[in-house]
Parts: sequence; C-alpha cells; structure tokens
Amino acid sequence: MKKGFARRAIAATVALGLGMTLAACSSGGGGGGGTAVQSGDYKGPKVTVTFWNGWTGGDQQTILKKLVSQFNSSHKNITINPVELQWADISAKMPLAIKAGKGPDVTVAHGDDIATYAAQGLLVKSDAIIKDLGYTASDFPPGLFEHGAYQGAQYGIPWSVTPLGLYVNKSVLQKAGISPTDTPADKATYLSDLQKLKSKGIQGEWVDGYVFTGTFEFESLLWQYGGDLFNKDVSKATFNSPAGVQALTWMVDLVKQGYSPGKVAQDGNINALIAGKNAFNWNGIWQTSNTALLKDQWAAAPVPQIGSQKAVWSSSTDWAFVNNKGQDKNKTQAAAVFVKWMNEHSTVWAGGGELPAANKVRNAASLASQYPNLKPFLGELQYAHFETTAPGIPNAEATITTAVNEAVLQKKSPKQALDDAASQADKLLAQNKQQYGG
Amino acid sequence: MADTTVARSAPRSTRSGGPSGRTRPRRPSGRRTLTAYLFLAPFLILFLVFVVAPAIWGIWISLHSWNPLLPIHPFIGLSNYINLFTPGSLTSGDFWLSMGATAIFTVFSVPFLVAIPLLVAVLLNQRLRGGTVFRAIFFAPYVLGVAVIGVVWRYLLDPQNGVINNLLDGLGITQNFPWTVDVPWAWISLVGVTVWWISGFNMVSLLAGLKGINAELYEAAGIDGAGAIRKFWSVTLPGLRPVMAFVTTTTILSSANMFGQSYLLTKGAPGHATRTAIMYIADEGLSQNQMGAASAMSYVLFAVLAIISIINFRLQSRTSGD
Repeated sequence: MKKGFARRAIAATVALGLGMTLAACSSGGGGGGGTAVQSGDYKGPKVTVTFWNGWTGGDQQTILKKLVSQFNSSHKNITINPVELQWADISAKMPLAIKAGKGPDVTVAHGDDIATYAAQGLLVKSDAIIKDLGYTASDFPPGLFEHGAYQGAQYGIPWSVTPLGLYVNKSVLQKAGISPTDTPADKATYLSDLQKLKSKGIQGEWVDGYVFTGTFEFESLLWQYGGDLFNKDVSKATFNSPAGVQALTWMVDLVKQGYSPGKVAQDGNINALIAGKNAFNWNGIWQTSNTALLKDQWAAAPVPQIGSQKAVWSSSTDWAFVNNKGQDKNKTQAAAVFVKWMNEHSTVWAGGGELPAANKVRNAASLASQYPNLKPFLGELQYAHFETTAPGIPNAEATITTAVNEAVLQKKSPKQALDDAASQADKLLAQNKQQYGG
Repeated sequence: MADTTVARSAPRSTRSGGPSGRTRPRRPSGRRTLTAYLFLAPFLILFLVFVVAPAIWGIWISLHSWNPLLPIHPFIGLSNYINLFTPGSLTSGDFWLSMGATAIFTVFSVPFLVAIPLLVAVLLNQRLRGGTVFRAIFFAPYVLGVAVIGVVWRYLLDPQNGVINNLLDGLGITQNFPWTVDVPWAWISLVGVTVWWISGFNMVSLLAGLKGINAELYEAAGIDGAGAIRKFWSVTLPGLRPVMAFVTTTTILSSANMFGQSYLLTKGAPGHATRTAIMYIADEGLSQNQMGAASAMSYVLFAVLAIISIINFRLQSRTSGD
C-alpha cells in the first residue's frame, strides 16, 4: 500500500511540478481564429498530422490502424500519425502539451469532455471548417451535433455513438417458458417476464450501483419518466425530481421484489448473464464485441419502455481540432480532410462495438447486414439522450453514481439519496461555473 | 534501566571518522565535515527537490483555488482549510467521511498487522525444519504490487461469482456475503487482504529483531525457572522494543495511507463508506483538478498523522525508559 502510493505520489508531484513550470511559461490560450478548409481535397505541402485517441487495445485499435494506413496510402501529401493514450491521460496531458505546442493536431474526445477542453481554449473554433466539410446537425442522430457546441461555437464533429441496450440470455428465457424471440419492450411484459423467471427461482435482472451500468440504467429511466439530469444552463441538478425518484425507486423495487439480488458487484450482472444466471442486463452496445457472450444464446434489444416515454442513455465520441501554440493551419486543414474521410469510411467501426455517428453510413443497409447484432441499437438513436455539455461536468455526474449505489444497497431511500447527491452536485456546478466561467 | 537495554540488538558502533581518521587526529575536522556533507549531498539534493520543495509548494497551492487546467489560480487565503472545518461546505462532509474510513481501517488493521507477524516470527525463530521455506511463503505476497493483489482478490471475493462465496456455498453457507460491495464485509475484506499482503514484511523485520536477542538471556531466564510464556513477556518483548517501535510506526503510517485496496476492491462503495482519505485527496486533486483543496486536505491529514506519530513515539520511549 505504501509502496504503490509513494510511487503515485512521486509521479503526481513530478507531473505537478512540471505542469507548474509549463503553465507559468504560457498565457492562457484563446479560442483560436477558425481556419477555413478549401472545399475538396487538401492541396497544401506534405504534412504529418498527429492524431490522439484513447483506443489502446482490442478490435477498435486494430480497425483504427487499418483505416489510418488505408488513408495514408490514398493521400500522398498527408501522413496521419496516430498516438494511443488512455482516455484519462488525454485529458490530463493535452492542456500542457498544447500550451507547449506539442499537442496533437486532431483528437477524439468523449462528448462530455468537449466543453471542458473548449473552455480551456484547447480547441479550434470549427464552425468554418465544418461548414466547408458540409456537415450540418441533420447528418447525425437528433441532439448529437449540438452537444459538440460550447458558447455558440461548434467544436466537435461526431464520430461514434454508444447507446445502452437490453441484453438477453435466450436459454434462460426458455427455461422460464418465455419465447426467446419475444424480448420485452414495455413495463407490463418486462414485469411479467421477471415474475415468470422468479417463479423458476431465477433473479431476472441484477441491479448494480456502479457507473457500469447502474448509473446508465438510472439515467435512461429518469428520461423515460420525463425528467432530466440538470437544468437548461447546467446550474442546478434536477435528477432528484419526482421523475428521478420514480426511476430509482423502480430499480430498488426490483431488489425489494426479489427480481434482483441486493448486493451486486460491478460487472456482476453481465458476468451472470454470460454464466446463465440471469436473463436481462441493461448494458452498453460495446458488449456486442464481448466474445464471452458467445458461450450462450444471447440477443440484444432496445431497452424496454418503463416510464411514460421512450428514452435511452448514450455516450458519444467526437473529433476535435486542436489549437496548439503556433498551430500550423495546413495541418488543421489536412486533419479536416482526414476526419471527413474517416466518417465516410466508418462502416467497419461497428465491428468494435460502436455505432458510426454519420447517418448516411449508419443507416445504410450494408451496416445492418454486416453487423446484425448492432441492428437493435439503430432505432434507439431516435430517442437517445447524450452527455450533458458543460465544462467540468464529470464531477457533478459522479454524484449520481453515489446516489444510485446508496439507494440500491438500501443505505438511503431513493429520494434521500438523490436529494443528498443533488445538493452536492449543485455545489460542484457552482464551483465549475466559477472556475471555467460560462 | 540500563541493564534491560543489553537485550537490544546492540547498534554496531558506527565507525567514527574514516580509514584516515586515526593517522590525522583532530586537526582536519573542517575537511572531514565537508567530506561527510559531500557524501550526504546526493541524498540531500533528492530530499530537497522531491520532499522539501514540493511540501512548501504544496502549502502555497493550498492557499489558492488551483485548477491546473486553467491559467489563473486565484489566491483565496485559508478558505480551503476553513471549508474543511465548515459543515455543509463542498468538501467537509466527504473529507471527514474519508478520514473516518481511514481511521476504521487503521484501527482494525494495525493490531493484526503487528500481532500475526509477531506470532509467526516467534514460531519461525524456533529453528524449525523447513523454516526458510515458510519464511519465503509468508513473505511472498509482499512481493506483489497492489494492482495484482487488487485484481486477484476482486475475482476471489466477488459476491455472486467469486471463488470464496462458492466455496462457502459448498460448505453449506449460502448467504453470498457481499465482500466487496457492502460494509462491514468490505472492511473485513480490506483488512484481511492487507494483512495477507503486508504481514510478510513485518514478519521479516521482527524475525531480524528476534535474531538479535542474546540467547544467554533465555538461558538465564530458564535457570530462574521461567517458562515459554514468561520468557516471551520478559525477554522477547523487551528485546524487540526498538524493532517493534519501527514496525508499529511504519504500519500505522502505511495503513493511514491506504489507497490501492479500496480503489481496486470496493471502489469506495457502499456510497463512499470505504473511500480512504488518500483516495479522496487523489480524486479531488487529480480527477477533479482541485489541487488547492486537495493540498489543504493533505496538510490536515499530515497534521493528524504527525500528532499520532508523536504520541506513538512518546508511548514507546516511556515504556523503554522504566
């Protein structure tokens, strides 16, 4: 324990010390002017474009590398140099690297990071580039493009979306006498299925109190009951509204009714589904590439509608052009060409368990036929809710997980847990506004 | 008094001076001091650069609203400290909850981390057949990093799919204890895993101390009619005192700095009940980018640990003084 911590502490101290030195040398970066890209291809001198991303392993890394080398061989004057880092490292390293002029030219960021980066002046205001590339909000699922904007300027171009879905173990359903093709789509069917499973001694859905995936399930239910996470200008938490209490009560009731065990560990539910111990799991589309699922008969379906309207949680990743100190406009221009090309060739990205954000690619018949497991998620994007856009928002979002955890473990009532979390979140939101402005 | 200290592993008389010390008596003491400082310099420089300078820098940071991502860090005086002692502020509730978790862990882990290694060390000191093998076995877990033990035990302790609950199931105990999910079971896991992990190191230190106790003392005690238990209390424990002081102090400090086990095994759940002070400070400083508040918390934690260490040393020196 001491060993590990000491190492971490030293690393942190060194990083911090370095950070101070670098930060002291630079004045805060501005928003950047907004480079325009000539329509058509890049005609400038030969450039190497550095591209940071967080796909450090698995199918996604392989697919990405293939796409990049394909791009490089078809574009004589552009060389893309991909750099893989842990997502958390990207947010930690980029600010300093950019201030030193050593950051990437283009990066991929999660939807809820874009505003934080933009508020720090790390990204290029990209309205002109996006206009030249010909993108509009209607090229992407409803509500997604807007999430890449901050204070009236567009910074992000959507790349992928990852909604939640309902994973089903078909053999377990059959054991309870439920037709494996009849996946439940509404509250009544869902409850009657859980009841049938319970009568066979099977706890049908295991509710957990962790980010993966209890928090995502709670947020989906909150929206289904007509609530929202935060108010319009993200100055107040609203997840403790009556809708939120209803949503969390539904989850806790699954435990109280005996449809779920009471103390599930993180990932305990998907592992139980794989082991044939439960029938349903609300989990992300990324599980479609989990080969362990192949051990049993499984299927994915849209999440059932429990509340008064259809809604589902989804995350997203976006492209963003980076505003390095002394950023070479040719490189940004070349990066824009790369982004457009990638989005056009993103069909294969579905193989890594994420949906391409570009409507044209995602809705093409070839995608559904090539990746049939992903088909049930496609329709969900009509009513999916994406991350909240506000600088520093992850800290306020983390309070939701605490509430879900406390309620699911029955340490607090759903209302009490949500009220406590909301009051903490309000303080964090005030702190964020004060520090990042806006 | 002085005669009890005989049992202490006699400190090797530090060779004063150097090889040249004898040939040139007294005069060149200035140069000798300089030589000594030169030899100390490498460590001194590291100490100044990596301990003293960051410590002072940390005090400076703690007086600011310091978000490392932003170019401006407003000076806010003692606000970060005042917030910690103001109920209902952003940080006070979470901070004192984490200090409480640290206290629980320390209080429950330190006695086991001292008593069990002591017992094992005494047993291994008996010139058993295969003693070296056992010593290696007990020491082995300490070689592993916290990441390894965290991941391994998370598999073993998983409430629904873990090996331990499955074994208990086989024995007819079908309760599915939530080892990593709910208290008090999470505390049992955290303390148990830590004892398994760290005991080997304390055992080796204590064993070294045992080897330093003069065998004649046991013989003399035997002649006076002392049995095994009496020998343990009257010869072994007093003889181990300096080593015990070292072991308890380092164990208290390392328990109070616990991070990895909670981070990997329980993730601080339920709620934040098993989130230790260091874990909260790391989250506040490195994930939430509130370096100012995190530094202030570090200093409060430091103050508490300093007080505990002083009390600990006082107690140890008082018992050895009589």
